[in-house]
Amino acid sequence: MDTQPENPVKDKHLLIAVDESDSSRRAVLYVADFLGGFPGFTLTLLSVIPEPEQDFYETEAELKAWIEEKTGTANKLLEHYRTILIQSGFPEDKVRVHVCVGDAKSLSDAILAIRCDLTCCTVVVGRHHKTKTEEFLFGSTSNRLIHEAKNCAVWVVE
Amino acid sequence: MGESDGYSEKELLRMIRKWVPRERVPKRVRIKDTADFFRVDYDDVVVLDKVPYFVRNNEREGRFGIDDEQKFWVKRARNLLTGDVKILKWVFRERFEARIGNLVFDCVRSPQKEARILELVSGKPAFMQGKTVLDTAGNQLRILDYIRGKTLGQVALELGSDHEDYFHNHFPALLAEFMGLTEAIRFLHDHNEKHGDIRRDHIIKDDATGHYRWIDFDFNYRHGESRFGYDLFGLGNVLLFLAGRGDVTTYRLLRERPDVFDRLTEDDVNIVFHNRVNNLKKVYPYVPEKLNRVLMHFAVSAPVYYETTQELLDDLGEL
Repeated sequence: MDTQPENPVKDKHLLIAVDESDSSRRAVLYVADFLGGFPGFTLTLLSVIPEPEQDFYETEAELKAWIEEKTGTANKLLEHYRTILIQSGFPEDKVRVHVCVGDAKSLSDAILAIRCDLTCCTVVVGRHHKTKTEEFLFGSTSNRLIHEAKNCAVWVVE
Repeated sequence: MGESDGYSEKELLRMIRKWVPRERVPKRVRIKDTADFFRVDYDDVVVLDKVPYFVRNNEREGRFGIDDEQKFWVKRARNLLTGDVKILKWVFRERFEARIGNLVFDCVRSPQKEARILELVSGKPAFMQGKTVLDTAGNQLRILDYIRGKTLGQVALELGSDHEDYFHNHFPALLAEFMGLTEAIRFLHDHNEKHGDIRRDHIIKDDATGHYRWIDFDFNYRHGESRFGYDLFGLGNVLLFLAGRGDVTTYRLLRERPDVFDRLTEDDVNIVFHNRVNNLKKVYPYVPEKLNRVLMHFAVSAPVYYETTQELLDDLGEL
Protein backbone atom coordinates (compact mmCIF):
# COMPACT_ATOMS: atom_id res chain seq x y z
CA MET A 1 0.00 0.00 0.00
CA ASP A 2 1.27 3.48 -0.97
CA THR A 3 1.47 5.63 2.17
CA GLN A 4 2.46 8.83 0.32
CA PRO A 5 -0.40 11.35 0.30
CA GLU A 6 -1.53 12.54 -3.13
CA ASN A 7 -0.52 16.15 -2.37
CA PRO A 8 2.43 15.99 -0.06
CA VAL A 9 2.92 19.09 2.07
CA LYS A 10 5.59 21.24 0.52
CA ASP A 11 8.57 22.17 2.65
CA LYS A 12 8.78 25.69 3.99
CA HIS A 13 11.76 27.18 2.21
CA LEU A 14 13.88 29.66 4.19
CA LEU A 15 16.52 31.87 2.63
CA ILE A 16 19.32 32.74 5.07
CA ALA A 17 21.38 35.61 3.70
CA VAL A 18 24.81 35.81 5.29
CA ASP A 19 28.14 37.54 5.13
CA GLU A 20 31.24 37.25 7.26
CA SER A 21 29.80 39.22 10.15
CA ASP A 22 28.99 37.99 13.65
CA SER A 23 25.39 39.01 13.12
CA SER A 24 25.11 36.58 10.21
CA ARG A 25 26.54 33.87 12.38
CA ARG A 26 23.90 34.65 15.00
CA ALA A 27 21.19 34.36 12.33
CA VAL A 28 22.42 30.91 11.28
CA LEU A 29 22.69 29.72 14.89
CA TYR A 30 19.20 31.02 15.59
CA VAL A 31 17.71 28.99 12.73
CA ALA A 32 19.74 25.95 13.81
CA ASP A 33 18.51 26.30 17.36
CA PHE A 34 14.91 27.19 16.51
CA LEU A 35 14.14 24.78 13.69
CA GLY A 36 16.91 22.17 13.74
CA GLY A 37 15.48 18.64 13.90
CA PHE A 38 11.99 19.63 12.79
CA PRO A 39 10.79 18.16 9.50
CA GLY A 40 9.31 20.20 6.69
CA PHE A 41 12.00 22.84 6.15
CA THR A 42 14.39 23.48 3.31
CA LEU A 43 17.13 26.04 3.77
CA THR A 44 19.17 27.97 1.27
CA LEU A 45 22.23 29.73 2.59
CA LEU A 46 22.92 32.75 0.40
CA SER A 47 25.96 34.95 0.07
CA VAL A 48 25.70 37.98 -2.20
CA ILE A 49 29.01 39.48 -3.18
CA PRO A 50 28.43 43.21 -3.55
CA GLU A 51 30.29 43.90 -6.74
CA PRO A 52 32.21 47.13 -6.64
CA GLU A 53 31.85 49.36 -9.64
CA GLN A 54 34.33 49.02 -12.46
CA ASP A 55 35.65 52.49 -11.52
CA PHE A 56 37.51 50.88 -8.64
CA TYR A 57 39.55 48.64 -10.90
CA GLU A 58 42.16 49.37 -13.52
CA THR A 59 41.23 46.39 -15.68
CA GLU A 60 38.51 43.79 -16.11
CA ALA A 61 41.03 41.14 -15.10
CA GLU A 62 41.65 42.89 -11.77
CA LEU A 63 37.92 42.97 -11.06
CA LYS A 64 37.52 39.34 -12.10
CA ALA A 65 40.34 38.27 -9.77
CA TRP A 66 38.68 40.16 -6.92
CA ILE A 67 35.35 38.44 -7.57
CA GLU A 68 37.00 35.02 -7.74
CA GLU A 69 38.70 35.57 -4.42
CA LYS A 70 35.47 36.72 -2.79
CA THR A 71 33.53 33.81 -4.28
CA GLY A 72 36.05 31.35 -2.86
CA THR A 73 35.77 32.92 0.59
CA ALA A 74 31.96 32.95 0.41
CA ASN A 75 31.81 29.28 -0.60
CA LYS A 76 33.96 28.30 2.37
CA LEU A 77 31.77 30.33 4.72
CA LEU A 78 28.57 28.80 3.36
CA GLU A 79 29.96 25.27 3.67
CA HIS A 80 30.84 26.00 7.29
CA TYR A 81 27.32 27.23 8.03
CA ARG A 82 25.83 24.30 6.13
CA THR A 83 27.71 21.93 8.41
CA ILE A 84 26.36 23.72 11.48
CA LEU A 85 22.79 23.45 10.19
CA ILE A 86 23.17 19.76 9.33
CA GLN A 87 24.62 19.08 12.75
CA SER A 88 21.58 20.76 14.27
CA GLY A 89 19.30 18.21 12.63
CA PHE A 90 18.48 19.37 9.11
CA PRO A 91 18.83 16.61 6.50
CA GLU A 92 21.82 17.10 4.19
CA ASP A 93 19.66 17.31 1.09
CA LYS A 94 17.58 20.08 2.66
CA VAL A 95 20.43 22.57 3.16
CA ARG A 96 21.64 24.25 0.01
CA VAL A 97 24.12 26.98 -0.69
CA HIS A 98 24.07 29.77 -3.24
CA VAL A 99 26.66 32.43 -4.04
CA CYS A 100 25.99 35.26 -6.44
CA VAL A 101 27.47 38.58 -7.46
CA GLY A 102 25.26 41.55 -6.73
CA ASP A 103 25.79 43.47 -9.99
CA ALA A 104 24.55 47.01 -9.71
CA LYS A 105 21.73 46.01 -7.36
CA SER A 106 21.67 46.78 -3.69
CA LEU A 107 22.12 43.80 -1.39
CA SER A 108 18.47 43.82 -0.41
CA ASP A 109 17.35 43.89 -4.05
CA ALA A 110 19.63 40.96 -4.83
CA ILE A 111 18.36 38.98 -1.82
CA LEU A 112 14.73 39.65 -2.70
CA ALA A 113 15.26 38.70 -6.35
CA ILE A 114 16.72 35.36 -5.30
CA ARG A 115 13.95 34.83 -2.76
CA CYS A 116 11.52 35.28 -5.60
CA ASP A 117 13.40 32.88 -7.91
CA LEU A 118 13.58 30.20 -5.22
CA THR A 119 10.05 30.94 -3.94
CA CYS A 120 11.20 31.11 -0.34
CA CYS A 121 8.57 31.99 2.23
CA THR A 122 10.98 33.58 4.68
CA VAL A 123 14.16 35.62 4.52
CA VAL A 124 16.49 35.44 7.51
CA VAL A 125 19.25 37.98 8.11
CA GLY A 126 21.30 39.13 11.04
CA ARG A 127 21.00 42.69 12.19
CA HIS A 128 24.25 44.59 11.82
CA HIS A 129 24.67 47.11 14.57
CA LYS A 130 25.50 50.13 12.50
CA THR A 131 25.92 53.58 13.90
CA LYS A 132 23.28 56.13 12.93
CA THR A 133 25.82 57.90 10.76
CA GLU A 134 26.66 54.72 8.90
CA GLU A 135 23.03 53.84 8.38
CA PHE A 136 22.31 57.39 7.21
CA LEU A 137 25.16 57.46 4.70
CA PHE A 138 25.12 53.93 3.41
CA GLY A 139 21.78 52.44 4.37
CA SER A 140 20.78 49.28 6.16
CA THR A 141 20.06 46.02 4.37
CA SER A 142 17.82 44.62 7.11
CA ASN A 143 15.76 47.82 7.28
CA ARG A 144 15.33 47.86 3.57
CA LEU A 145 14.34 44.18 3.50
CA ILE A 146 11.67 44.87 6.09
CA HIS A 147 10.26 47.70 3.99
CA GLU A 148 10.60 46.21 0.53
CA ALA A 149 9.85 42.51 0.98
CA LYS A 150 6.58 41.31 -0.50
CA ASN A 151 4.82 37.94 -0.13
CA CYS A 152 7.27 36.69 2.44
CA ALA A 153 8.27 37.04 6.07
CA VAL A 154 11.53 38.64 7.12
CA TRP A 155 13.32 37.50 10.25
CA VAL A 156 15.90 39.95 11.49
CA VAL A 157 17.97 38.24 14.16
CA GLU A 158 19.47 40.49 16.82
CA MET B 1 59.88 68.57 -27.22
CA GLY B 2 56.21 67.69 -27.49
CA GLU B 3 53.61 67.41 -30.15
CA SER B 4 54.18 70.65 -32.05
CA ASP B 5 51.88 69.95 -35.00
CA GLY B 6 53.77 72.37 -37.12
CA TYR B 7 53.46 75.44 -34.89
CA SER B 8 56.67 77.45 -35.02
CA GLU B 9 57.78 79.40 -31.96
CA LYS B 10 57.25 82.63 -33.88
CA GLU B 11 53.71 81.65 -34.76
CA LEU B 12 52.92 80.65 -31.16
CA LEU B 13 54.29 83.94 -29.82
CA ARG B 14 52.14 85.81 -32.30
CA MET B 15 49.07 83.92 -31.06
CA ILE B 16 49.99 84.48 -27.42
CA ARG B 17 50.31 88.22 -28.02
CA LYS B 18 46.78 88.19 -29.38
CA TRP B 19 45.25 86.91 -26.14
CA VAL B 20 47.66 87.85 -23.39
CA PRO B 21 48.66 91.33 -22.12
CA ARG B 22 52.06 92.43 -23.39
CA GLU B 23 53.74 92.19 -19.98
CA ARG B 24 52.66 88.58 -19.69
CA VAL B 25 54.06 87.45 -23.02
CA PRO B 26 57.14 85.31 -22.45
CA LYS B 27 60.33 85.88 -24.40
CA ARG B 28 60.50 82.27 -25.46
CA VAL B 29 57.92 79.53 -25.74
CA ARG B 30 58.56 75.94 -24.82
CA ILE B 31 56.30 73.28 -26.23
CA LYS B 32 56.02 70.52 -23.65
CA ASP B 33 54.95 66.94 -23.99
CA THR B 34 51.92 66.36 -21.80
CA ALA B 35 52.96 62.78 -21.13
CA ASP B 36 55.06 64.13 -18.23
CA PHE B 37 52.65 66.62 -16.76
CA PHE B 38 54.81 67.52 -13.75
CA ARG B 39 57.21 69.15 -16.19
CA VAL B 40 54.49 71.24 -17.79
CA ASP B 41 54.76 74.66 -16.25
CA TYR B 42 53.62 78.27 -16.38
CA ASP B 43 54.24 79.84 -19.84
CA ASP B 44 54.63 76.46 -21.56
CA VAL B 45 52.55 75.50 -24.57
CA VAL B 46 50.99 72.07 -24.97
CA VAL B 47 49.36 70.90 -28.17
CA LEU B 48 46.32 68.69 -27.80
CA ASP B 49 44.18 67.50 -30.65
CA LYS B 50 46.14 69.90 -32.87
CA VAL B 51 45.16 72.86 -30.69
CA PRO B 52 47.89 74.83 -28.87
CA TYR B 53 47.20 75.76 -25.23
CA PHE B 54 49.20 78.37 -23.35
CA VAL B 55 49.59 77.07 -19.79
CA ARG B 56 48.95 79.36 -16.86
CA ASN B 57 48.71 78.61 -13.13
CA ASN B 58 47.86 75.42 -11.31
CA GLU B 59 44.32 75.34 -10.00
CA ARG B 60 43.65 75.22 -6.30
CA GLU B 61 41.09 73.55 -4.11
CA GLY B 62 38.81 76.44 -3.40
CA ARG B 63 37.28 75.92 0.01
CA PHE B 64 39.90 76.63 2.58
CA GLY B 65 41.05 80.18 1.96
CA ILE B 66 44.58 81.30 1.27
CA ASP B 67 46.23 78.07 2.28
CA ASP B 68 44.51 76.23 -0.53
CA GLU B 69 46.36 73.24 -1.77
CA GLN B 70 47.55 73.48 -5.36
CA LYS B 71 46.35 70.84 -7.72
CA PHE B 72 49.46 70.20 -9.81
CA TRP B 73 47.51 67.99 -12.16
CA VAL B 74 44.99 70.71 -12.96
CA LYS B 75 46.20 73.73 -14.91
CA ARG B 76 44.50 76.73 -16.33
CA ALA B 77 45.36 77.35 -19.98
CA ARG B 78 44.32 79.50 -22.90
CA ASN B 79 43.28 77.99 -26.21
CA LEU B 80 45.52 79.95 -28.57
CA LEU B 81 43.19 79.48 -31.52
CA THR B 82 40.03 80.85 -29.88
CA GLY B 83 41.30 82.67 -26.79
CA ASP B 84 39.00 80.62 -24.55
CA VAL B 85 40.26 79.83 -21.09
CA LYS B 86 40.24 76.10 -20.39
CA ILE B 87 41.17 73.78 -17.59
CA LEU B 88 43.61 71.05 -18.52
CA LYS B 89 43.35 68.12 -16.20
CA TRP B 90 45.72 65.22 -16.25
CA VAL B 91 43.66 62.29 -15.06
CA PHE B 92 44.77 59.35 -12.99
CA ARG B 93 43.19 56.72 -10.84
CA GLU B 94 43.66 57.10 -7.13
CA ARG B 95 42.20 54.81 -4.50
CA PHE B 96 41.99 56.05 -0.98
CA GLU B 97 40.01 55.78 2.21
CA ALA B 98 37.73 58.63 3.18
CA ARG B 99 36.91 59.23 6.80
CA ILE B 100 33.85 60.83 8.34
CA GLY B 101 34.11 60.69 12.09
CA ASN B 102 34.91 57.07 12.89
CA LEU B 103 33.49 55.85 9.61
CA VAL B 104 36.04 54.83 6.98
CA PHE B 105 35.03 53.95 3.43
CA ASP B 106 36.68 53.22 0.10
CA CYS B 107 36.83 55.96 -2.49
CA VAL B 108 38.37 56.28 -5.91
CA ARG B 109 39.20 59.16 -8.20
CA SER B 110 38.25 57.60 -11.50
CA PRO B 111 39.07 58.92 -14.97
CA GLN B 112 36.47 56.62 -16.50
CA LYS B 113 33.75 57.97 -14.26
CA GLU B 114 34.47 61.57 -15.13
CA ALA B 115 34.62 60.74 -18.83
CA ARG B 116 31.30 58.88 -18.62
CA ILE B 117 29.57 61.72 -16.85
CA LEU B 118 30.98 64.40 -19.13
CA GLU B 119 29.49 62.50 -22.02
CA LEU B 120 26.19 62.01 -20.20
CA VAL B 121 25.80 65.69 -19.31
CA SER B 122 27.10 67.12 -22.57
CA GLY B 123 25.06 70.23 -23.36
CA LYS B 124 23.40 70.36 -19.94
CA PRO B 125 23.91 73.82 -18.40
CA ALA B 126 23.83 72.54 -14.83
CA PHE B 127 27.13 70.72 -15.32
CA MET B 128 30.70 71.55 -16.17
CA GLN B 129 31.40 70.70 -19.81
CA GLY B 130 34.47 69.14 -21.28
CA LYS B 131 36.02 66.51 -23.46
CA THR B 132 38.71 63.86 -23.26
CA VAL B 133 41.78 63.75 -25.49
CA LEU B 134 44.73 61.37 -25.51
CA ASP B 135 48.25 62.70 -25.19
CA THR B 136 51.31 61.37 -27.05
CA ALA B 137 51.68 58.52 -24.57
CA GLY B 138 48.02 57.56 -24.92
CA ASN B 139 47.06 58.93 -21.50
CA GLN B 140 43.68 60.52 -21.02
CA LEU B 141 43.69 64.25 -20.59
CA ARG B 142 40.64 66.35 -19.94
CA ILE B 143 39.97 69.73 -21.52
CA LEU B 144 37.31 71.43 -19.42
CA ASP B 145 35.55 74.74 -19.83
CA TYR B 146 36.78 77.20 -17.28
CA ILE B 147 33.83 78.45 -15.28
CA ARG B 148 34.42 81.97 -14.11
CA GLY B 149 32.39 82.78 -11.04
CA LYS B 150 31.80 82.34 -7.35
CA THR B 151 30.85 79.17 -5.56
CA LEU B 152 27.32 78.83 -4.25
CA GLY B 153 28.69 79.11 -0.72
CA GLN B 154 30.43 82.40 -1.48
CA VAL B 155 27.28 83.78 -3.09
CA ALA B 156 25.15 82.90 -0.05
CA LEU B 157 27.55 84.50 2.39
CA GLU B 158 27.54 87.80 0.52
CA LEU B 159 23.77 88.26 0.37
CA GLY B 160 21.65 90.18 2.87
CA SER B 161 22.48 92.52 5.71
CA ASP B 162 21.73 89.89 8.33
CA HIS B 163 20.16 86.44 8.42
CA GLU B 164 16.59 87.68 8.55
CA ASP B 165 17.09 90.00 5.58
CA TYR B 166 18.91 87.23 3.71
CA PHE B 167 16.28 84.64 4.55
CA HIS B 168 13.29 86.71 3.42
CA ASN B 169 14.82 88.49 0.45
CA HIS B 170 17.49 86.22 -1.02
CA PHE B 171 17.07 82.66 0.23
CA PRO B 172 13.90 81.91 -1.83
CA ALA B 173 15.81 82.49 -5.07
CA LEU B 174 18.76 80.42 -3.85
CA LEU B 175 16.38 77.66 -2.81
CA ALA B 176 14.94 77.62 -6.32
CA GLU B 177 18.47 77.33 -7.70
CA PHE B 178 19.21 74.56 -5.22
CA MET B 179 16.16 72.64 -6.40
CA GLY B 180 17.41 72.94 -9.99
CA LEU B 181 20.79 71.64 -8.88
CA THR B 182 19.10 68.76 -7.06
CA GLU B 183 17.16 67.99 -10.25
CA ALA B 184 20.51 67.80 -12.01
CA ILE B 185 21.77 65.28 -9.45
CA ARG B 186 18.55 63.33 -9.90
CA PHE B 187 19.39 63.15 -13.59
CA LEU B 188 22.72 61.52 -12.69
CA HIS B 189 21.05 59.14 -10.26
CA ASP B 190 18.42 58.22 -12.81
CA HIS B 191 21.32 57.13 -15.00
CA ASN B 192 22.77 55.17 -12.10
CA GLU B 193 25.65 57.62 -11.66
CA LYS B 194 26.71 59.37 -8.47
CA HIS B 195 28.24 62.80 -8.27
CA GLY B 196 30.52 61.46 -5.56
CA ASP B 197 31.71 64.68 -3.97
CA ILE B 198 28.77 66.98 -3.40
CA ARG B 199 29.68 70.13 -1.54
CA ARG B 200 29.01 73.80 -1.89
CA ASP B 201 32.35 74.66 -3.47
CA HIS B 202 31.64 72.17 -6.23
CA ILE B 203 28.80 74.38 -7.40
CA ILE B 204 29.86 77.48 -9.31
CA LYS B 205 27.71 80.34 -10.52
CA ASP B 206 28.82 80.83 -14.10
CA ASP B 207 29.30 84.58 -14.62
CA ALA B 208 28.78 84.11 -18.33
CA THR B 209 25.32 82.56 -18.10
CA GLY B 210 24.15 83.11 -14.52
CA HIS B 211 23.59 79.36 -14.20
CA TYR B 212 24.89 77.35 -11.28
CA ARG B 213 26.92 74.38 -12.45
CA TRP B 214 28.20 71.21 -10.82
CA ILE B 215 31.92 70.55 -11.12
CA ASP B 216 34.34 67.78 -10.11
CA PHE B 217 32.50 64.53 -10.49
CA ASP B 218 35.42 62.14 -10.80
CA PHE B 219 35.04 60.71 -7.28
CA ASN B 220 33.26 57.49 -6.57
CA TYR B 221 32.65 55.87 -3.21
CA ARG B 222 31.88 52.29 -2.36
CA HIS B 223 28.25 52.46 -1.35
CA GLY B 224 26.47 50.02 0.86
CA GLU B 225 22.75 49.41 0.75
CA SER B 226 22.05 52.99 -0.23
CA ARG B 227 23.76 53.80 -3.50
CA PHE B 228 23.09 57.51 -3.34
CA GLY B 229 23.07 58.09 0.43
CA TYR B 230 26.40 59.90 0.43
CA ASP B 231 25.28 62.21 -2.39
CA LEU B 232 22.09 62.97 -0.47
CA PHE B 233 24.16 63.73 2.59
CA GLY B 234 26.06 66.27 0.48
CA LEU B 235 22.83 67.84 -0.75
CA GLY B 236 21.61 68.11 2.83
CA ASN B 237 24.79 69.90 3.83
CA VAL B 238 24.44 72.40 1.01
CA LEU B 239 20.79 73.06 1.86
CA LEU B 240 21.61 73.54 5.53
CA PHE B 241 24.35 76.00 4.64
CA LEU B 242 22.01 77.96 2.38
CA ALA B 243 19.18 78.06 4.93
CA GLY B 244 21.56 79.13 7.71
CA ARG B 245 23.54 81.56 5.55
CA GLY B 246 26.56 79.55 6.56
CA ASP B 247 27.05 76.74 8.98
CA VAL B 248 25.37 77.49 12.30
CA THR B 249 27.68 75.83 14.78
CA THR B 250 27.15 75.09 18.44
CA TYR B 251 30.40 76.92 19.15
CA ARG B 252 29.15 80.07 17.42
CA LEU B 253 25.86 79.93 19.31
CA LEU B 254 27.61 79.39 22.61
CA ARG B 255 29.64 82.54 22.03
CA GLU B 256 27.06 84.74 20.35
CA ARG B 257 23.66 83.49 21.48
CA PRO B 258 24.05 81.48 24.67
CA ASP B 259 20.28 81.64 25.31
CA VAL B 260 19.67 79.73 22.07
CA PHE B 261 22.53 77.37 22.81
CA ASP B 262 20.91 76.50 26.15
CA ARG B 263 17.69 75.52 24.39
CA LEU B 264 19.39 73.08 22.03
CA THR B 265 19.24 69.38 22.66
CA GLU B 266 21.41 66.67 21.19
CA ASP B 267 18.59 65.86 18.76
CA ASP B 268 18.97 69.26 17.08
CA VAL B 269 22.39 68.75 15.56
CA ASN B 270 23.57 67.24 12.32
CA ILE B 271 23.68 63.47 12.16
CA VAL B 272 27.27 63.46 10.96
CA PHE B 273 28.74 66.78 12.08
CA HIS B 274 27.58 67.11 15.63
CA ASN B 275 28.78 70.70 15.91
CA ARG B 276 26.35 71.90 13.22
CA VAL B 277 22.81 72.82 14.14
CA ASN B 278 20.08 71.46 11.88
CA ASN B 279 17.15 72.66 13.91
CA LEU B 280 17.39 76.19 12.53
CA LYS B 281 13.91 77.07 13.73
CA LYS B 282 15.28 77.17 17.26
CA VAL B 283 17.86 79.69 16.11
CA TYR B 284 15.74 81.66 13.63
CA PRO B 285 12.04 81.35 14.58
CA TYR B 286 10.89 82.64 11.16
CA VAL B 287 12.25 79.52 9.42
CA PRO B 288 9.07 77.77 8.19
CA GLU B 289 8.15 74.49 9.80
CA LYS B 290 8.14 72.65 6.47
CA LEU B 291 11.66 73.73 5.61
CA ASN B 292 12.84 72.89 9.10
CA ARG B 293 11.32 69.45 8.75
CA VAL B 294 13.37 68.87 5.61
CA LEU B 295 16.52 69.97 7.45
CA MET B 296 15.69 67.68 10.35
CA HIS B 297 15.84 64.69 7.98
CA PHE B 298 19.61 65.23 8.26
CA ALA B 299 19.63 65.58 12.05
CA VAL B 300 20.55 63.09 14.75
CA SER B 301 16.89 62.70 15.68
CA ALA B 302 15.71 61.82 12.15
CA PRO B 303 13.60 58.63 12.30
CA VAL B 304 13.83 58.19 8.52
CA TYR B 305 16.25 59.42 5.89
CA TYR B 306 15.87 60.46 2.30
CA GLU B 307 16.76 57.57 0.05
CA THR B 308 16.30 59.31 -3.28
CA THR B 309 16.70 62.79 -4.68
CA GLN B 310 13.07 62.65 -5.72
CA GLU B 311 11.95 62.30 -2.09
CA LEU B 312 13.95 65.40 -1.22
CA LEU B 313 12.60 67.26 -4.23
CA ASP B 314 9.03 66.31 -3.35
CA ASP B 315 9.41 67.80 0.11
CA LEU B 316 11.15 70.92 -1.19
CA GLY B 317 8.36 71.32 -3.74
CA GLU B 318 5.86 71.70 -0.91
CA LEU B 319 7.66 74.65 0.68
